[in-house]
Amino acid sequence: MSETGNGIDPVTLEVLRNACIAVAEEMNATLVRTGYSPNIKDRRDCSCALFDVVNGEKGAELISQAENIPVHLGAMPYSVTAAIEAFPPSSLSPGDAILLNDPFHGGAHLPDMTLVTPVFVDDELVAVAANRAHHADVGGAQAGSVAADSTDIYQEGLRVPPVKLYDGGNPVEDVFDLLLTNVRTPEERRGDFRAQRAANRTAVDRLRELVARRGLDTVRAATTEIKAYAERRIRAEIQKLSDGTVRFEDYLDDDGLGHEDLRIAVAVTVDGDRVVVDFEGTSDEVAGPINAPLAVTASATYHAVRCVTDPDVPPNAGTYRPVEIRAPAGSIVNAQPPSAVVGGNLEVSQRVVDALLGAFGLEAPERAVAAGQGTMNSVTFGGADREGEPFAFYETVGGGFGGRAGADGMDGVHVHMSNTRNTPAEVLETTYPLRIRRYEYRPESGGAGEFRGGLGLRRDIEVLTDDVVFSLLADRRRHRPYGVAGGDPGSAGADRLVRANGDETGIAGKATHDLNAGDVVSVRTPGGGGFGDPTDRDAAAVARDLRLGTLSAAVARAVYGHDVDSDG
Amino acid sequence: MVTDVRLGVDVGGTFTDVVVADGDGITVLKVPSTPESPDEGVLDGVTAAVDAGVDPRTVGFFAHGTTVATNALLEREWAETALVTTEGFRDAVAIGRQTRPDLYDLHAQPPSPIVRRDRRFEVAERLGRRGEVIEPFDEDDARAVARTIRESDAESVAVAFVFAFENDAHERRMAEILREEGVDGDLSLSSEVLPEIREYERTLVTSINAALKPVLNRYLGRLEDGVADAGVPASVTVMQSNGGVASAAATRERPVDTLLSGPAAGVRGAAHVAGEGGYDDVLTMDMGGTSCDVSLVRDGDPVVTTEGQVGDYPVTVPMVDIHTIGAGGGSIAWVDGGGSLRVGPRSAGADPGPICYGHGGTDPTVTDAHLLLGRIDPGTFFQRSVDEAAVREAVRESVADPLGLDVKAAARGIVDVANANMERALRVVSVERGHDPRGFTLVAYGGAGPLHAAELAEKLGVPRVVVPKSAGVLSALGLLISDAVHEEGVSAVRPWAEVDPAELTTRFDRLEAETAERLEAEGFPSARQRIERAVDLRYRGQSFDLRVEVPEGSLGQRNLTAVADRFHDRHERRYGHATPEEPVELVTIRLRARGIVDPPALSTDHGGTVDPDPRTVRRATIGGTTDQTPVYDRSALGPEATLDGPAVIEGAESTAVVPSGANARVDDVGNVVIEP
Repeated sequence: MSETGNGIDPVTLEVLRNACIAVAEEMNATLVRTGYSPNIKDRRDCSCALFDVVNGEKGAELISQAENIPVHLGAMPYSVTAAIEAFPPSSLSPGDAILLNDPFHGGAHLPDMTLVTPVFVDDELVAVAANRAHHADVGGAQAGSVAADSTDIYQEGLRVPPVKLYDGGNPVEDVFDLLLTNVRTPEERRGDFRAQRAANRTAVDRLRELVARRGLDTVRAATTEIKAYAERRIRAEIQKLSDGTVRFEDYLDDDGLGHEDLRIAVAVTVDGDRVVVDFEGTSDEVAGPINAPLAVTASATYHAVRCVTDPDVPPNAGTYRPVEIRAPAGSIVNAQPPSAVVGGNLEVSQRVVDALLGAFGLEAPERAVAAGQGTMNSVTFGGADREGEPFAFYETVGGGFGGRAGADGMDGVHVHMSNTRNTPAEVLETTYPLRIRRYEYRPESGGAGEFRGGLGLRRDIEVLTDDVVFSLLADRRRHRPYGVAGGDPGSAGADRLVRANGDETGIAGKATHDLNAGDVVSVRTPGGGGFGDPTDRDAAAVARDLRLGTLSAAVARAVYGHDVDSDG
Repeated sequence: MVTDVRLGVDVGGTFTDVVVADGDGITVLKVPSTPESPDEGVLDGVTAAVDAGVDPRTVGFFAHGTTVATNALLEREWAETALVTTEGFRDAVAIGRQTRPDLYDLHAQPPSPIVRRDRRFEVAERLGRRGEVIEPFDEDDARAVARTIRESDAESVAVAFVFAFENDAHERRMAEILREEGVDGDLSLSSEVLPEIREYERTLVTSINAALKPVLNRYLGRLEDGVADAGVPASVTVMQSNGGVASAAATRERPVDTLLSGPAAGVRGAAHVAGEGGYDDVLTMDMGGTSCDVSLVRDGDPVVTTEGQVGDYPVTVPMVDIHTIGAGGGSIAWVDGGGSLRVGPRSAGADPGPICYGHGGTDPTVTDAHLLLGRIDPGTFFQRSVDEAAVREAVRESVADPLGLDVKAAARGIVDVANANMERALRVVSVERGHDPRGFTLVAYGGAGPLHAAELAEKLGVPRVVVPKSAGVLSALGLLISDAVHEEGVSAVRPWAEVDPAELTTRFDRLEAETAERLEAEGFPSARQRIERAVDLRYRGQSFDLRVEVPEGSLGQRNLTAVADRFHDRHERRYGHATPEEPVELVTIRLRARGIVDPPALSTDHGGTVDPDPRTVRRATIGGTTDQTPVYDRSALGPEATLDGPAVIEGAESTAVVPSGANARVDDVGNVVIEP
């Protein structure tokens, strides 16, 4: 039979590619099922992947992944590379596992803990299994470790360089003690770490079976060829884009400490079958936590490239080879220590995608999509529950997706770099001293257009005990999601705080407040931008929005020129 | 008159299958389906049975497998429905889990809401986490909503309040007010339909139930009338997604429980025939033209999940855990831009179908690959002559040339890649759920299943494959052997250490009394009832729970401790770790009540000989080699017949491949058993 390369025929390639995806998906099933915290089990803020070790144990390359959270996956290779640089796999033994979260050693932000496990079969290293899970607290100044007002990484929580968390299958108790002493909810953390380990053990078992069936040489050759295959496909896709350079700019509101209008500037150059993305002109890093390590910027860039090419191209190291990223060191897209970075992963990543999709939209208007909500709306509550036990609750809130050619933007979803689920009110209220008062669409928040932007969400959360610290880390509260092709921008987010005594105030997108029983936070997220001229909107679609109560008669008349009376 | 004849009628896309069981064994009949009005096909089936000599007055059991609810949901042909929910939660059922359907597809579309926004109404009321009243139910608000609904064209109403699974008082009061205000349509209350934690899933399931109620009411009403008019005294029972049957009356109340009616009956039937052969731990694989359904059966019972999905919607009622992938005989083979051979998800379906059908198909499919490998008869297919040259040319052009392979290697590759897709699906239902496939038997059916099963078994380490004798009517057969099953679950989240054994006993007793009454009404006296009690437990702070059985009768503290111990054990087994020192939490109280059905004896008269001769010999590629291969006629193989691979066994419904080194035998109920 012929070979596609690396001694692997096209059938074996497809068969083993399926097998490698199955391993990652099975890891993910284990992680979600054994996870302790709602953040992993219910919200699925975690990802799993397989890597192989290349370049004389100096690098790790993604082979396959289970698709949960885009921002994790593009960034994980940096973490795995950092882990194997610190612990060359040849120095490791079966049952070892390396933990890290350091954003300046391949991490993204401190709550994302990555566990890396070498997979040995008969003393030969076959691959590396890794998973990343967002822990609901990793210490630092504020419960939940997503503080909106940190000015350096030391305030953001416990920074973990690559360390051995398991040694020959046994937990390294000293390291566990150190970790758990520094976090607010140690038992939940211990449970989540165990779940992470169980996920990687699944990969070890499955890869052993695979090697037993197919032989080590075939498996190794196949993992190499899986990457080469993806590279061929993505190059063919990039080739279809027009050559040349397009530029686009978008802005983050601020860093929460008074530095406003943080610019993301991109110049996207398509040159045959490769793409160069240059962030020259992007704002310098800021004091507040709106700084992205390079791994996060890379992740957002890869995501945008996948969206504008064929999403069927499997994501792995090969997919990313034709994409060159130039990000000035010391800018908010390539932050240096000791910057505060928690919002890099959550917010800068979203704006990088907005800027890149804006640029690709100029390059190929038929692929253009209006901006989505462009934020994750991170909400954290920390304090003591009814029994006096410390608690930290973290969640993110969806909003509008941008209008697209032929369809309105989706209402109330996570966009681009996030896809975490919400926490059911009943689960949240059973577990934490909080109550959901309202969870609904924000009418008219989507930008008007022939295809309107998706609606933002309103989520009102009441605290039931005193002395709770609330933190909001969100963006698009001033700079609205852009429309395209004549569509209007989406509404900015506009959050409120209603005290128990009825006093109501607006709150900033990046804010920390002390709350007491009866106080209600109302998170109101941005709508997506519109696509196309609103006056081209189908009258039936306008009438439908009127009937459903997501559009007022006044706006229907003023923006869409809709004759409301004719609806009877 | 003795009413000992049992009738099972399963409606499929093309045929409606009828199985008649009496003292002498089973008889199988097929009539065309009538998709516009499926009850007509069912009644045609009854007529066919009567024509075949069944006296309708002797039919004492009538079970039905239906896709009416499924089709209504998938094709959005449900009834106009209103939803009444807690103030502030009007949109929660539409927002769902706030995820988008595809991470990278910028043009993805969200599922359509079951209830339109202008028919979703809020009432001021609020319960807390233990069911305590935080805000009283606002009667005036409720009456205003009821009057608006009365004036709308809603045919059916769902009521779902937050934490109603802990306290149903507000939902019940809302139902009363709807009636008082003159709303006379169907009602569905979340505290009755799915009294379990997680408001989105509960509200969605309640809304789906409400939206399907008028549809099923009309359908089952027509069907019951027709069956009675035909002179059949038996009342109609309907297959449920959980693998049991329930009365038509119960089904009208809970149509959401029938979304997997047909497929669940198939798994039941497959489990039954494997069980007759002595195999109780089974993987099932139903591979047709466009898709392949796989599931797992443990100790003779299909594994049931509450995390199922139907179309775009999570349906968290108990359903047989069926995993569907787009791999069938009609799946199209193609070469992608990276030079890899792919199979599916595009399918030629039944029309035009594979090239070898001769209905105008031009894309090479899995079935075409089997033809070129000599595994299916190159002479005729569906009584048509096959243009093998056209098949060969298409495979050459679309697959072999682009990959630089010869045609045979390309065909072999198409089958291997299809197998890889199916292997992944079988792993999802087995390995991913903690079951080792090496202890299971693979039952393969559907037109294409037996062509792939033995090779898949080798890859998964499955020790044997069973190809059922009457694979084409497994669903209808499943209807006749399924117990009546009622599953009840009530969420009550609290520390296990604080659960009072006497109170828990009372709660189980109450559930048991209710279900016993229902079974009694369906004709199962207490001697033929089996009740299983269980609780879902988790570690405090964990969001995933595990089911643990609870003994019958009055519970003491010692029983509760034993249940907790079993939970730790199970956690260790399933996830590799357990922490007995950590507090355990009760999540849901569960009861499974079954009315036991005596399965009919399968016929032992199979014809055929013990020592069959091949019908013919032809060149076929099996495993890595191509050779003259004996081809047997299935109907010529009698019980105890054995043969060695490589071989091909051709039956009326499907063709089975026996790999080299494997042997095949016919067991005493007529199934072909292939062992490597």
